Amino acid sequence: MLKKSTLSAFMAMILAVSMLAACNGDKNSAGQTKQEKTEQKASSANDEIKKGASQMQAINKQLLDALEAKDTAKIKALGKSINDKWLSFENAVRDRFPLLYTKVEKYEQPIFAESTMAHPDLTGMRENARNLQQALDELKTAKATAQKASELLDKAVKNYKDYVLEQADHLVEATAKFTAAVKAGDIEKAKQLYPDARVYYERIEPIAESFGDLDPKIDARIDDVDDPAKWTGFHRLEKALWKDHSLKGQAKYADQLLSDVKDLKAKIQTLKLKPEAMVAGAMELLNEAAISKVTGEEERYSHIDLVDLSANVEGSQAVYQAVIPALNEHNKALLQELDTRFRKMEEKMLTYKSNGRYIDYTKLSKDQVRELSQALSELSKSMSQTAEILG
Amino acid sequence: MSDEPKKGITRREMLKWTAAAGTGLVIGASGLAPVFNWMEQKGEARRTHENAESETVAFHGVHQAGIVTPQQTFVYLVAFDLSTDRRSEVIALLKNWTVLAEKFAKGRLEKNPGNQWLPPKDTGESLDLGPARLTVTFGFGPSFFINDGKDRYGLAAKKPKHLKDIPRMPREAIDASKSGGDVCVQVCADDKQVAFHAVRGLINEAVGKATVRWMQEGFLSVPDGKTPRNLFGFKDGTANRSLTSRSAQETHLWCGSDEPGWMRGGTYMAYRKIQMFLDVWDRSSIKDQEDTFGRKKESGAPYGKKHEHDPVDLQRMPADAHVRLARSTGQQMLRRGYSYTDGIDPKTGAINAGLLFISFQRNPDQQFIPMLRLLSDKDALNEYTKHIASAMFACPRGIKKGEYIAQALFEG
Repeated sequence: MLKKSTLSAFMAMILAVSMLAACNGDKNSAGQTKQEKTEQKASSANDEIKKGASQMQAINKQLLDALEAKDTAKIKALGKSINDKWLSFENAVRDRFPLLYTKVEKYEQPIFAESTMAHPDLTGMRENARNLQQALDELKTAKATAQKASELLDKAVKNYKDYVLEQADHLVEATAKFTAAVKAGDIEKAKQLYPDARVYYERIEPIAESFGDLDPKIDARIDDVDDPAKWTGFHRLEKALWKDHSLKGQAKYADQLLSDVKDLKAKIQTLKLKPEAMVAGAMELLNEAAISKVTGEEERYSHIDLVDLSANVEGSQAVYQAVIPALNEHNKALLQELDTRFRKMEEKMLTYKSNGRYIDYTKLSKDQVRELSQALSELSKSMSQTAEILG
Repeated sequence: MSDEPKKGITRREMLKWTAAAGTGLVIGASGLAPVFNWMEQKGEARRTHENAESETVAFHGVHQAGIVTPQQTFVYLVAFDLSTDRRSEVIALLKNWTVLAEKFAKGRLEKNPGNQWLPPKDTGESLDLGPARLTVTFGFGPSFFINDGKDRYGLAAKKPKHLKDIPRMPREAIDASKSGGDVCVQVCADDKQVAFHAVRGLINEAVGKATVRWMQEGFLSVPDGKTPRNLFGFKDGTANRSLTSRSAQETHLWCGSDEPGWMRGGTYMAYRKIQMFLDVWDRSSIKDQEDTFGRKKESGAPYGKKHEHDPVDLQRMPADAHVRLARSTGQQMLRRGYSYTDGIDPKTGAINAGLLFISFQRNPDQQFIPMLRLLSDKDALNEYTKHIASAMFACPRGIKKGEYIAQALFEG
């Protein structure tokens, strides 16, 4: 749950009518001769990308076979090979074909993440591997096209909006399952399902913030509300599950929560998103993670703060992925830096997983909390510079 | 020389100078006339910032600023641990720090970007406050060169001869998390907000390359022309007067040709955070207090003498008196300590306070460690104090125009 002041600023940004395209202009018009010189370089980069994509496809094919044969050892080894291969030429791809870059990342990252688990989710991996194969096909035949900065920004917003819609869909589904368990009085099942729903909310929280009272209704903590008797939402149920150990009288909160997230989804569908709001939202997510998640304040009964923290980072990363093409025009060094920082953060977060789930916040040592906090601060400093694309 | 006073030096600063440096020895004869002329003028120019020059300590010089600079009122010590293993990133950080430190020393702020969606470059709280004689002094700890047996940046061969952690001492209770560090930055200024602004800027710059290991702030008020006092109410640093001449500084303070090139003209900073049990002290008799030091409390005169700077007669002091033991080693160093307070001890409710002992010397193995050992063993003061943090840093020579700090270490 964010502060009200940031909320109103966020609203203002969404409502602001600003013509970004007008001030961006065409920054490349002066570089003709330079462009000629770089053409040769570009064609060798294209060759490298095509070669890399073919090699990656070959490994991915082996992975699909291994998935068919359910050979876990092989699956884990191939997941790593795919990632190593991708790392060896991803910079060239990001530089030349930023949109395809994000597409490949979208499928490659979960494959690699799953392959590091003791018991990888084979069904999910198979789907991602199939999609990856297609994305790599596109990469092999891709041609670079020059795009105007304003178009790049519009595209970024569209891509991000798609992501938000997808998350909102998942949020409704996961919340429906969770609230059904609550209403059935099944404490254990509800506890299992609670983190699943939280992930989708925490990834797009700043968007929910922009709809006035929906965020407090869905995500308020007990000290956020004036009158505890009117407290509703996820944390109301979290307290019932983990502190009161009773679901008595919780059905009405379950119904309310489901109806609120459905309401949220409907509102998101009609949302007009501005690039400023998107970039600000990415920062809000990291600030949230740094202020209430890394301190263990958000999920004070269930202690699943690492789930939220990771979701906040993922939500911010989605904005990063969306703005790669635009940022590519402004500041390549920053792209490289962000890529490294997100990767580092992901690797760090993986070490806090056990049996596919994040460990309890209370199990973290002081040093681990500080380390996480510092990694977030590094990420947030770099991320704050993405606003360059708005200049 | 970094500490050449600009014309327009204030009376207060001049008096600090004469107190710390002895009349004119460091300033040089040619610098004296304008200073005396100035002293005839009436009124204080300080705090108006109309003449920022007079509040500016030169950034470039043979030696780093903040060492023989007359002591400012506030200090921040920040120790960083480097989080990068790349030499190029360390160099980039030192370059950026150098640019920032020079800017801050001149009382300038970072220029903000034109794009309103970006965060401001400068945090802004020192705007209109002037430079406040701000200095930034850099030092490198032993772990900067070799950490866990690893030559981190290929610089082990250039490690200064005497750079090592201060060995364990009797009675100490060192908190490792508030000790040591790869790089130390000492920021001093006459305005606490100005000092903090610089510290904050340097920390922000380090994000991603270094993390703050510990940070400590301190204060010290220097009465006009007199030796400052510690929180026990005694004069502290009386002996600094013997280090005012250039030749004495060459002998005792600045490293010479026996050190790697980048350290020649540099010095070693020794740091001990010493908790002082104020409540116990405040209930001790004046006689006990004076016996503990071997000096008179008010005048600072050594036992058996009348004035602070009269030559000491060790035989007249109790055998375990602080001054007697310290003087018996025959060693000299430049003391530049500050006092600190830190709320209350949550267990006892007593005030947490003490001394940030900071000394500069060219050979700590000879000048500092034996004295520390002797005092840790025998000093009557130990009844009222406890050493709780410790560090040693090698401070490179001064920065020439166009250079970054310790450039000669990386490129020499």
